[in-house]
Amino acid sequence: MSITLDIKYAARLLHKKPVFTALTVFIVAIGLGLTLYTYSLLSSLVFKPLLLNKEAPVISIEAEYNQSHLFRIGVDAFDFLTIRNEMDAIAEFGVYEEGTALIGQSQQNSATRKYNSVRIEWNVFEFAGVKPIMGRALKAADHFEGAEPVVVLGYDIWQHYFLAQEDIVDSIILVNAIATRVVGIMPAGFSFPTVAQLWQPIEQNMLTPTDRSRSWLFAYARLKKEVSFDAFSQELALLNKKVVKDLPDNMRWRLDDFEGYLRAVPYKEASITQFYSIFITMAVVVVLILLLACINVGNLLLARVNERFKEVAIRVALGVPRNRLILQMLLESIFICTVGGFLAVLIAGWGLELSNSVFDQMFLVNAAKPFWWHVSLDADAIILLILSVIAMIAITGFIPAWRALSGDFNAVLRDGTRGSQGKKAARASQILVISEILLSCVVLVIATILLSTSYSAGQADYGVDTKNRITATVELPEESYPIRRDTEFELEDTLKRTAFYYQLKDTLEQMPNIEGVAFMSQLPGTGEGASFFEIEGRAAAVYNENPYSNNEVVSRDAWQALGMTVLSGRDFNQSDISEEIDTIIINESIAQDFFPDGDAVGQRVRRAFRNPDADREGGWQTIVGVVSDTYHGSAMRTSSEQYSSYFMLDNIGFNWIDMAIHYSGSQALAEKSLQQAINQVNSNATAYHIQSYDELISQPMILVSAISKVFLLCGVIAVFLAASGIYAVAANSISQRTQEIGVRRALGASDSNIMQLFMKKALWQLVFGLSIGITLSLLVVNQMTDTMVINQGSYIVGLIAIPLLIIIMVLVATYVPTRKVVLMEPSDALHHD
Amino acid sequence: MKSNNNTNNTTDISNAEKATQVLVELHEIKKIFYTDDVETHALNNINLTINKGEYLSISGPSGCGKSTLLSLLGLLDNSSSGRYTLAGHDVSDLNRDERSAIRNKEIGFIFQAFNLISDLTVAENVELPLTYRSDFDAKQRAVMVNTALEKVDMLHRADHFPSQLSGGQQQRVAVARAISAKPSIILADEPTGNLDSKNAQIVMALLDQLHQEGATICMVTHDPRSAARAERMIEVFDGKIVADQLSQTPTAIAV
Repeated sequence: MSITLDIKYAARLLHKKPVFTALTVFIVAIGLGLTLYTYSLLSSLVFKPLLLNKEAPVISIEAEYNQSHLFRIGVDAFDFLTIRNEMDAIAEFGVYEEGTALIGQSQQNSATRKYNSVRIEWNVFEFAGVKPIMGRALKAADHFEGAEPVVVLGYDIWQHYFLAQEDIVDSIILVNAIATRVVGIMPAGFSFPTVAQLWQPIEQNMLTPTDRSRSWLFAYARLKKEVSFDAFSQELALLNKKVVKDLPDNMRWRLDDFEGYLRAVPYKEASITQFYSIFITMAVVVVLILLLACINVGNLLLARVNERFKEVAIRVALGVPRNRLILQMLLESIFICTVGGFLAVLIAGWGLELSNSVFDQMFLVNAAKPFWWHVSLDADAIILLILSVIAMIAITGFIPAWRALSGDFNAVLRDGTRGSQGKKAARASQILVISEILLSCVVLVIATILLSTSYSAGQADYGVDTKNRITATVELPEESYPIRRDTEFELEDTLKRTAFYYQLKDTLEQMPNIEGVAFMSQLPGTGEGASFFEIEGRAAAVYNENPYSNNEVVSRDAWQALGMTVLSGRDFNQSDISEEIDTIIINESIAQDFFPDGDAVGQRVRRAFRNPDADREGGWQTIVGVVSDTYHGSAMRTSSEQYSSYFMLDNIGFNWIDMAIHYSGSQALAEKSLQQAINQVNSNATAYHIQSYDELISQPMILVSAISKVFLLCGVIAVFLAASGIYAVAANSISQRTQEIGVRRALGASDSNIMQLFMKKALWQLVFGLSIGITLSLLVVNQMTDTMVINQGSYIVGLIAIPLLIIIMVLVATYVPTRKVVLMEPSDALHHD
Repeated sequence: MKSNNNTNNTTDISNAEKATQVLVELHEIKKIFYTDDVETHALNNINLTINKGEYLSISGPSGCGKSTLLSLLGLLDNSSSGRYTLAGHDVSDLNRDERSAIRNKEIGFIFQAFNLISDLTVAENVELPLTYRSDFDAKQRAVMVNTALEKVDMLHRADHFPSQLSGGQQQRVAVARAISAKPSIILADEPTGNLDSKNAQIVMALLDQLHQEGATICMVTHDPRSAARAERMIEVFDGKIVADQLSQTPTAIAV
C-alpha cells in the first residue's frame, strides 16, 4: 500500500513537471536508442563472429591489407598449400577466388548477364553448413583436370535469369561462353564467401600447386576448438617469417613495406578493413553520447533532489526508512528510463531500417553486398537494452538517492542556515561540467571533421565533366578473345580483343544521341592507389623516394568524351601500338611539378619497383602528351592521388574495362543505345554497373556519407545534451551558491564582480575540458586518417569552430543562471532556501 | 525629535544635540511585499536616525520587520517608498552597483549564520570585501586583514578554513571581516543566535569593544540581554517602531 502511495506520488511529481519529464525521457531515449542502433549495426557488420551454423567462428586468411590502394590482397596458392600442410590448428579450410561471370543460355540467343562468381573449393557448402535445395553440391572430383565444367547456381540467378526453370539441374548453360553443367541450386540468401551468386570448382592446380604463381586467392577457415584466434595468429606469424624468407625475388611484390604477408583476420572484419576505424570511431562516439545522456539525466534528477531537499528532510525527520527513501528516489528514474527504453527500441529500429536501405543503395549497382549486411534488432540487442536500462536506472537513480541520504537534514530544517555549496558538491559539479565539455568536444569535433570532409569530397572537382555522361563496365567472355601470353601471337590477340572496344566505340558514336565514348581502366573519381615511377636521369636511390602516380589504361580519342583536354603533345594513336609499352601520357600536375620548364613531352619515365632485377634495362616509356588533371579515387580517401599516368589500351588487352558515354537527350535512351551497340558488336559481351557519372562518383562515398549523417545526428544530440546539461549543472551549482552570492553582494561585490567570479570558473573549466577534448579528438581523428584524407578546412572547422561554439555555449549556459541570481536582491539571496 | 512619531519612548533624545553626527536617516520608509494577491506591509512609515558612534539594538517578535529594516539599512534591499540618507548622501535611488560600492565602503555585516565562504581561508574571508575595492594593494590588504584578525584574536587561525573553526570562532572571523574595511556602521543580524552562551558572551564583548573604540553598531536581536548591552534600544512591532529608548545599563551590566 505504501509503495502504491510512493508510485502515485512519483507519478504526480512527473506529471506536475511535464517539460522536465519529457526532456529526461527524450534524453534517455536518444542515448539508449543510439546505443542500441550502433550495437546492432556494429555487431552485425563487424564484431559478432560469423558462425555459419557451427560453433567455431569463421576466419579469413589472406595477405596484409594494402593500405595505399585500400584493398584486400590475395595469397599465392602455393603458400596456402604450405598453410594447409603445416598448420595443425586449422580444423576446416578452403580457398577461393572471387570474380564475375557472364551467364548465358546455350540454346537460346538470349543476352548474357554478369553475376558475382566464385571459384572455390568443393567443401564450401559443407563448411557453411548449407545444402543445395536442388541437385548436388560441388565434389572433390569436380576440381580434377579434364572434369566436366560444372556450376552451382544461386537462388537469384535461378529465379530471375532462368525464371525458376524446374529442369535447370543437369542442364547446360554458358558461363563465360563455356558450356557448363548446372549441378545444384543453393537456397535463397546464401552467398558465402561474401557476395557469390554462382559457385564453380577451382582448378586442382590451385589446391595442390607445385610451384609459385601470380595466383590471388583467399581462404576461409575454422580453428580447432582448443585453439584461440590469438594463438593461431602468432603461429601464422611464425610461418609467415619462414615463407617470407623463402620467397624468391620475383615474388617479393607480395610483401608489404614491413615484410608482412600472411595474416588471419575475423571474417567479417576482413571485408570492412577500410571502414574499421570509422566504425570504431562511431562506437566511441556513441558511448560518449550515452555517457553524456547518463550525466545529463543524473544531473537533472540531482537538481530535482536539490529542489526537493526540504521535502526529503521532512520525510527523514518523520522517520522514513532508508530503503523506502532510496526506492522513492529511484521510482522517477525507473519510470523515465523504462519509457525511454521503449522509445529507444523505436528509434533504433527506425535507424536500422534506414541503414538497410543505405546498404541496398550502396550495392545496388554491383550487387556486392556481403550477405551478413542486413541489420536488425536481435535478442542480444534487447538483452543489452534491458541491461542498459537497469544500469541507467542505477546511475541516474543512485546519484539523487545518495544526495538525498547524505544531506545535513538538521541544517535544512533549521531555518535557512545552509551555507555555500559544499566542497564535494562544488567539485562534483566542476567534474560534471568538464565532462560535458570534454565529451561534447570529442563528439562534435569528430562529427564536424567527418561531415566537412565528406561534404568537401562531394563538392570536389574531379577534373571531368559528369553532365550527360553515363558509365558502365564492359566485359568480354575471355574464352572468345583468348590471348596467347608470352608467344609471338600476344600482340595480335591483344589487338583482336581491343578491337572489340573500338568497334563498340565506333558503333556508339555513329548513333545520333552519342557524342563520344571513352574507355579507361578506372574512370576519374574512382580507382585508387599509386605506384612509383622514375624519371630518366633522375632516379632516386631508393625506389620509394621516386614520385608516384595513379596509372590508368585509356583508349585512343577518349579525352573529349570525359571533358578532359590534351594540353601539350598529342593523344595516343596507331603509331603507339607496339609489343613494348613505350609511350605514356601524363597529367598536368606531374608535368608542372617534375618538368617545370615545360619540357615533359619527349622525356622518359618507367615504373620503379621495390625489387627490380639488378641488371634491369629498358622498360622506359616516352611521354607523348600532357592532359588536364583529374582526380582518381574519392577525394576523401588516402588512396586518392592527383598524379596520373595513362597507358594505351591497345597494348593491354583487358577483358573488362570501364567506359564513359557522353550523350545528348535522355539517359535511358543512352543506356538503350549501349545495349544495342553491344548486341550489334558481340552479344556474348555484356555491360553492367550502368549508371550516371555522378552516381559512379558518389558510390564509394555512400557508406561514409551515411555514417557522417549518423555523426551529424550524434553531433546535434551532443550539442543539445551538452547545452542542456551544462546549463543544468551551472544553474544547479549557482543555485546552491545563491547564499554565497548574497554574502558577497552584502560585502560590496558588484554585479560584474559576481559575474566575473562565475565566468572565470567557467573559463577555467573550458580550458581544462577543451584541452583534453581536443587532444582526445585529435587522437581519434588521427586513427581515421588511415583511410581518409582530412582537408585543412575540415580541421579548421573542427578545431576552431567547434571549440568556439562550445565556449559560447558554456559562457551563455553560465551567464544566464548567474545573471538570474545576481539580479536577486542581496537580502533575498541571503535568505534563499 | 529624531525618533518615530509612533513611539512612546520614555527617554527623549535631543536631535539638535547630535545633529552634526547623524549617520543614518530614514524618512517615511515603507516596505511592501507582494505575493500573488496578498500585499504585506513589512515596514510602515519608518522614521529613524542613527548617529555616529551609536550602539543600538533593534528587537521585536518574529515577523515584526526587524530583519527587513536591517536589510534596508544595509542596502541589501530597496524600500517601496521613503527616503534613506547615509553619511549625508541620499541612497534611496541608487543603482545596484552604486549600492554595492556603498555597502563595501560604509557598511560591515555580521550575520546570525556567520556566512563565511567555506572555500576561502579565514584570512581570505576577511580580505574578501577589500578585494572588491581598487584603492588597496595586496600589501595594504594584508595589513588590514591582520589588524582585523588580531582585534578578534583569530590571527593564529588565519590559514584555516571555516569548517575547522567552532561557531564562536567563525563569528569572530565574521566580525573581523565586518570591520576590516573600517566601515561607517556595523549591522549585526542576531550575531549570537547560533552560539552557545560562552561564545555569545565573547562576541558581544567584541562588539562592546568596537563600540568603545568609536564604531557605530546596529544590532537586530530578540535576546533582551543582548539588546540591553546597546546604549539605545528600538522595538519594532507590526512594521512600526513602537519604542526608542536609551538603555539604563548599557554595555557594562550585560552578562
